[in-house]
Amino acid sequence: MMADENVDVVIVGSGFAGALIANELAKLGKRVVILEAGDGIPTDINKYMERFYKAAAKVPESPYTPTLFDKDGQFSPEANDPSRMPAGRPTVLTITEDWANPQKSYLVHDKKKDDGQLATPFASTYDRIAGGTSHWLGTCLRFVPADFEMRKRYPNCPKEFVNWPINYNEVERHYRKAEEELGVSADIVEQKYLGITFPPDYRYPMPRIPESLTDRAVRRALQNLKPAETWFLGMSRPPTDIPVRGVPAARNSQPYRNRRACAGNTNCIPICPIQAKYDPTITLNEALNHKSVTMMKNTVAKEVILDGDLRRVTQIDYIDYGTGPTQKTGSIKAKIFVIAANAIETPRLLLMSQNAGRKPEGVANSSGMVGRHLMDHPYYVGWGLLPKEAKPLYPYRGPLITSGIADLCDGPFRNERAAFRVDIGNEGWNFVVAGTGGDPDLTTIDFVNGVNRSGVNPDGNTGEGMFGKNLVDKLNETITRQFRVGFLVEQTPDPDNRVTLSNFRDGLGLPRPKIAYSLSPYTKRGIVAAKQLQDLLFTKMGAKDHTTVLPIDPTLFEEEINGQRVQLNYVGAGHIMGTYRMGPKDKPKESVVDSFQRSHDHDNLYLVGSGTFPTGATANPTLTLAALALRTAEQIAKRV
Amino acid sequence: MSDLTRRERAQQAQSAAEDDHASRLTRRTMLAGVAATTAIVTVSVDTSSVAQSPISDMEAFTQLSAALTGIPAGKLAPATDSIGLRQDYFNWLNEKEPTAFASLLNIAKTRITENKDTAPQTMIDELRINDNTNFLARSIVLMWYLGSWYSPANLKRLVDEKSSRVPVFVPHTVISPKAYTQGWAWRIAQAHPMGYSDMQFGYWAREPAPIEDFISRTAAKGT
Repeated sequence: MMADENVDVVIVGSGFAGALIANELAKLGKRVVILEAGDGIPTDINKYMERFYKAAAKVPESPYTPTLFDKDGQFSPEANDPSRMPAGRPTVLTITEDWANPQKSYLVHDKKKDDGQLATPFASTYDRIAGGTSHWLGTCLRFVPADFEMRKRYPNCPKEFVNWPINYNEVERHYRKAEEELGVSADIVEQKYLGITFPPDYRYPMPRIPESLTDRAVRRALQNLKPAETWFLGMSRPPTDIPVRGVPAARNSQPYRNRRACAGNTNCIPICPIQAKYDPTITLNEALNHKSVTMMKNTVAKEVILDGDLRRVTQIDYIDYGTGPTQKTGSIKAKIFVIAANAIETPRLLLMSQNAGRKPEGVANSSGMVGRHLMDHPYYVGWGLLPKEAKPLYPYRGPLITSGIADLCDGPFRNERAAFRVDIGNEGWNFVVAGTGGDPDLTTIDFVNGVNRSGVNPDGNTGEGMFGKNLVDKLNETITRQFRVGFLVEQTPDPDNRVTLSNFRDGLGLPRPKIAYSLSPYTKRGIVAAKQLQDLLFTKMGAKDHTTVLPIDPTLFEEEINGQRVQLNYVGAGHIMGTYRMGPKDKPKESVVDSFQRSHDHDNLYLVGSGTFPTGATANPTLTLAALALRTAEQIAKRV
Repeated sequence: MSDLTRRERAQQAQSAAEDDHASRLTRRTMLAGVAATTAIVTVSVDTSSVAQSPISDMEAFTQLSAALTGIPAGKLAPATDSIGLRQDYFNWLNEKEPTAFASLLNIAKTRITENKDTAPQTMIDELRINDNTNFLARSIVLMWYLGSWYSPANLKRLVDEKSSRVPVFVPHTVISPKAYTQGWAWRIAQAHPMGYSDMQFGYWAREPAPIEDFISRTAAKGT
């Protein structure tokens, strides 16, 4: 361990934001120490792959450590006891009837919010491991310019929506830098929509990823529409042609920086077996190849310590639970501190940092905004089946997602209801029926066993079952005609959607995060519009709708559409945002950091990641948080 | 250095990495195969009723599997079988369901001896008569298709509760990482197991090869 006084920057967390900042500083010879709560980077990913193959539930966290599973690949409640894990984390395997049971769920869910509303599950999870969110999909969308200016452009949207202290043009250069670092494949002409602009000479690092057969079927279905069919969208003019565009992705379409081109393993989430998809361990390894950078793994930051007049951070106290037979506590000093621990763990650390009662509200929290405005992109999914006369779509091939519908994510409707963006899945019903066992398992069992849980075997629901060639033919005819679409909905930044500290502890004795969360009426109206677009799409495709909301689903809610009560739900998108929002420096009571993600309260403290997003838009947050991290790195580099 | 040269070098590095991966995988699979062959010695199946049958248990299992799955025996267990799943599954069944498995093998042997051509159908007709053999046969199909063990008891429970308003969740165990990567359901869908594919960049923009290429012809590489 290098001497404290020699450290320029301490970074807590080695995911996207932490790794990018570490690497930028490393290139300039700055001395950086990274504290990583979880395990380090393995020498190869074979263990990850074997764990994934063997896992009975192939959830986003399934390849990674600490492992969810016992030796038989079954979820192990003992190994995942949140009161015993030193660096616990949420898993989708406890977002069940047990979602609010703190004996099982790492996140301690309140059933009621401060405003008296009933709370529902925060349905997203995260990993605590070197590289952070390696299980991401790879989507690298830019925000559209209006996403930064909700208050200004849509004065009638809910009062909680604010403008960002920075606009599209100010982020644009760093978007390009992030696209280069992550290695994004996309077509520039196709990505110019809703005001997105590029410099005239710009090209994405790689050509776009080819579209799938399902993408094409969706495109065909949404051409030549009648205005009466799309009026419900509330665009300035009802569209008669809704474009399907390639989704920019940090997934190689040709060899890039010594990594291979995508071979279509259809497994971006949770893990690409050939690392054709970028993940932060790539940048992290690059940073760690510099002598001036070190990482302390299995080391949990427990408190940010301030100086006598509470203006500057002097050190971070930590617990090292992994490198010796017993836990060791320690502290590390530096000139500048960066917290890059995601939008739940970062506010948790700040709130824990009460400095022996000198800072009862926690560090960086004079505004009282730390932990508030927790957001996700509530994800509504619908799935359908084409009739056997139709040409197959051949899903379960290619990257999980290659195209989507982005043109509907901005318009005057944002005064009235939440925006959404549409993903077109290439993995059939694999994930949408996960609650009943996932596909191809569910559909296969239905035909083999003569039952009809999937809804595709109504005539065979006799218990008799099929064998041999009949079975092969029936399965082929069905599975090749499956498809699904997903809608990422913008969420109101509700101050009562909160991360606070619970009375339940983790294995190191630290308080676990407490979550209070629900969807606003504005967000639910966005899901209603999503459902209406789903109905239009399925009708135009001639598809049978098989979407089901299980009665036991804790995210279920009912809305009225055209006089009918309709059951809807949401799943998590894994996009954890908003809990230490950025805002103008001259109004420090309304936000936590400025546009450079520097704390209003403490001159040498930066809080990075999507926790700084004041509003969530509909684009996956990674590219934007990466761009902001690179912008922050430039400022830090000038100061040390 | 020209771009082309750089790219060539990258491709060389890439193919070297693939070779390395392939050789490691093969070695691993071979070791697993050896272990399985050793294990078989300790397994015994009651074959008294057909003790004189010239058909071995393994041959009966292969023919039975082919009839149940609709996948030709030569594909399930090719002559040069570096993967060796047939042996793994045979051992697994002997351990989990020895009695019902013995009954199934007896049915297969009897029907094959009687008439090889009609055996695929006659063995299915017969095994359907009894719940023990009927549900184990389903578990066997699911093993080959999904690489997972869905027990006969759980499958029977699923049928008993088939009118349930909340779909019943059936627990299962992935038999091994290798079993997952060899599941036939994916190939029947003219696709590949998620996370395990030998296809190439861009294949998803085209229609797949005909299903026969995936499940019956000798060259089974999907393109």
